[in-house]
Amino acid sequence: MEKDRNSFIFRFLSTLFVILAINFFLPRMMPGDPFSTTSADEVGEEIIVMTEEQRLYYMKYYGLDRPLYEQFSKYMKNLITGDLGRSIYYKMPVRDVIWLHLPWTMLIVMGATAISTISGVVLGTVSAKNRKKGSDRVIMTGMIAFAEIPSFLLGLILLLIFSVYFRLFPLAGAVTPFANYNGPAEQAWDILYHAFLPVLTLSLSQLTGVYLLTRNTLITVTTKDYIRTARAKGMGEKTVWVRHALRNALLPVVTRTGFMIGIMMGGVVLVESVFSYPGIGMTLRSAVINRDYPLIQGILLVIAVSILICNMLVDKIYGKLDPRVRI
Amino acid sequence: MSLLKINDLRCHYLTDVATVKAVNGISFKIEEGEILGIVGESGSGKTTVALGIMGLLPENTAISGEIFYRDELISSLPESEIDKFRWKDIAIVFQNSLEVLNPVMKVGVQVTEPMIKHLDINPENARSKCEDLFRTVGLDPEWMDSYPHQLSGGMRQRVLLAMALSCDPKLLLLDEVTSALDAFTRKEIRDLLVELQKKNGYTMLMISHDITFISSVASRIAVMYSGRVVETGPVRDILVSPRHPYTRGLVHSTPDIFVYKDLWGIPGDVPTGDEFKGCPFSTRCTQKIDICKKASPVLTPTGGGREIACHRGGIADILVARNLNFSYRLPNRKYLHAVNNVSLEVTEGEVLAIVGQTGSGKSTLAHILANVIRPESGEVLFMGGNVSEEHYGSRFNGIQIVFQDPFSSTSNRFTVLDAVKEPLYINKIGSNEDRLQMVKNVLELVRLPSSDNFLRKYCGELSGGQRQRVALARAMVMEPKLLIADEITSALDVSTSANVLRLLKGLQNKRGFAMIYISHDLSLTLKIADRIAVMDSGKIVEVGNSHDVMLSPSDEYTKKLVGSRIGLCCHTHQAV
Repeated sequence: MEKDRNSFIFRFLSTLFVILAINFFLPRMMPGDPFSTTSADEVGEEIIVMTEEQRLYYMKYYGLDRPLYEQFSKYMKNLITGDLGRSIYYKMPVRDVIWLHLPWTMLIVMGATAISTISGVVLGTVSAKNRKKGSDRVIMTGMIAFAEIPSFLLGLILLLIFSVYFRLFPLAGAVTPFANYNGPAEQAWDILYHAFLPVLTLSLSQLTGVYLLTRNTLITVTTKDYIRTARAKGMGEKTVWVRHALRNALLPVVTRTGFMIGIMMGGVVLVESVFSYPGIGMTLRSAVINRDYPLIQGILLVIAVSILICNMLVDKIYGKLDPRVRI
Repeated sequence: MSLLKINDLRCHYLTDVATVKAVNGISFKIEEGEILGIVGESGSGKTTVALGIMGLLPENTAISGEIFYRDELISSLPESEIDKFRWKDIAIVFQNSLEVLNPVMKVGVQVTEPMIKHLDINPENARSKCEDLFRTVGLDPEWMDSYPHQLSGGMRQRVLLAMALSCDPKLLLLDEVTSALDAFTRKEIRDLLVELQKKNGYTMLMISHDITFISSVASRIAVMYSGRVVETGPVRDILVSPRHPYTRGLVHSTPDIFVYKDLWGIPGDVPTGDEFKGCPFSTRCTQKIDICKKASPVLTPTGGGREIACHRGGIADILVARNLNFSYRLPNRKYLHAVNNVSLEVTEGEVLAIVGQTGSGKSTLAHILANVIRPESGEVLFMGGNVSEEHYGSRFNGIQIVFQDPFSSTSNRFTVLDAVKEPLYINKIGSNEDRLQMVKNVLELVRLPSSDNFLRKYCGELSGGQRQRVALARAMVMEPKLLIADEITSALDVSTSANVLRLLKGLQNKRGFAMIYISHDLSLTLKIADRIAVMDSGKIVEVGNSHDVMLSPSDEYTKKLVGSRIGLCCHTHQAV
């Protein structure tokens, strides 16, 4: 047990180190640097075109003129003390920038995870029970059609239909600007109202995967001997499906949900951009455009660590659900 | 009122490719307190019957026929109605496999689950009842909190048994409960079942390919073949005198029954394709006649509680000898009664061994049966015709004999080709090319080279083993229905004789001819014989299944013969 825990921690740390290294070197391998921006991102944005002298000054100021290995060891040292560095673009600590935007991302990623998992499992079960009948065919066809649309395109379509054409939902942002709320209920409503379309987009992009996995696993599981045993015991269809079939079929779905959060943390960059949703995805985009190395590193680190944590959690939960993998 | 009655049950699996007639019109009854065993090889439809009774057949199954439980028709009930009978009235012990129990549920929960549902008791009571059940089947109740993968195969089988007993069912179905278990566990489960039956009087339907296991528990046996019942009857009768060729094949390939015999399965396969209308066993049967290919026989009673489905009324006699007598005149003008009032039958496809010491009259008897010499009185009938009139030796599918000494039975001056071709030549069968081809085929059959070089060899150049095979080939070229082998291995050394004997038995098994094997060597005989006739001073003193004769000889002479074998001494000699 002790040994297992040690190797577990070792694996976690070594994976983390590799991610940190990639995190550090990748932005620096991109052409350009934080101080040579020459074009504006949005119309009306003021940009400062620096002289070569100014550029060198700032490079020195942020320590970017030092050799790479020196920068890397400094970066690692700071990390251990919890210091993620200062954002060059926002001119404030990276930690604070992330702290400002991460909750929004968490909100829509978690929301989408919950919605896509629950509805995927429900639809998958309905489909599996009515296998090769009308309802299964209809759901299946619809799902596969959705799966082929990339999430940012789906987001654009939803935005055009619901926000631009029907004006049912906001075009951008996570909250109504300068709003005065009468109590927390109204504030929560406003947040949900803004999060609705991004969550829907993300959910739809993941739904087909969960649905297909649930449906196909259930179909496989229902051919197993223990389902026949449960039927023979006269347990009734409902117990057979819920207690015996679904419980076993959900095992791979749990694993998938863990991976799904990781995939969504990456995919959220595009979705947030489409809806101008102020999460870390949007922040990452601007950080890349501005070559804001510390911020890029910080955000990628947060994404990587959250994926790692999700995987660890999945391992733990899976062990709870499936006695066969318990040690 | 029978506890369970099945009328003309048919279960056909409809797949995209073909229809599999897993169960094709079977009917039987089980009375209360009775144990019926269904045996048959894998794929014969045994498990389908069990699943059919439980209403557990997959959706793509076309089911017809009726299943009555205590006069209530349960075969046409909807799923929700069948649930009332399941487990409380009819429970099944499945064959142990890794996934027969839910892998993510504790076994205790899986055993208590049906009790809570059907017996209307609370979880605590169910749990304590489960503990009792675990003790009954010989498991420590501690195991209730473990998962299926943590148990051994034998323990899982016990859990399955406890689970089936949980709601005190009236009828217990047992599907291959011991086939995946080792000998010790198998014995324990068997004893447990017998004990349970004695104590609680369960009515059981046992399904297994293991005829030994079935016969040690069941009172009646039904033999299934290709979705049909081919023979039923009391256990002892079926084992001792199987009447259907398939039952005989099954019994004969069971090592627990024929302890000494070499294992030979039933050759051939079950016919596939749904257009086959004849008897399903006809493709493997050694006694098929025209009707067997056209119509399927029905199960008909033959008395003594036995029923059989065979157009020929069961295993037919191929040769019947009645009251044969033959004497030699000795130089001192006395007569030696070599064959003294001998009667015997040889059935289709069987190997009958005639054993006895030298001078007991075995060879004389063989020569009479093959019509080499004529008896003074009595008659020999082969497939209904008289041997002395019909010249079965010069026909295809007749009687052929292979003699003891290959050096005198094949001429030194004949080439192999001439020696084997001789019967064809004498009887003017086929053109020269045909004969050559037949000779080549039969040489391959006895595993001799069929090259021109070998065909041109003189028999005098061959070794003893090769020459005996040439003699065998000469008999086989006439494709006999009955082969009489008279001491064919006694002139050969141990290894050669083993080879010839295995070859002979292999040919017999493959071609399905009947054989009379004459020998003085009891050990060798036991390897191939189905039945043994013991001869002494011209009389047959004992006939019976080879294992019965060997293990429990009843005649004094047989006892002597069995006792006279020189056993190999394996114990160490103790120094005095």
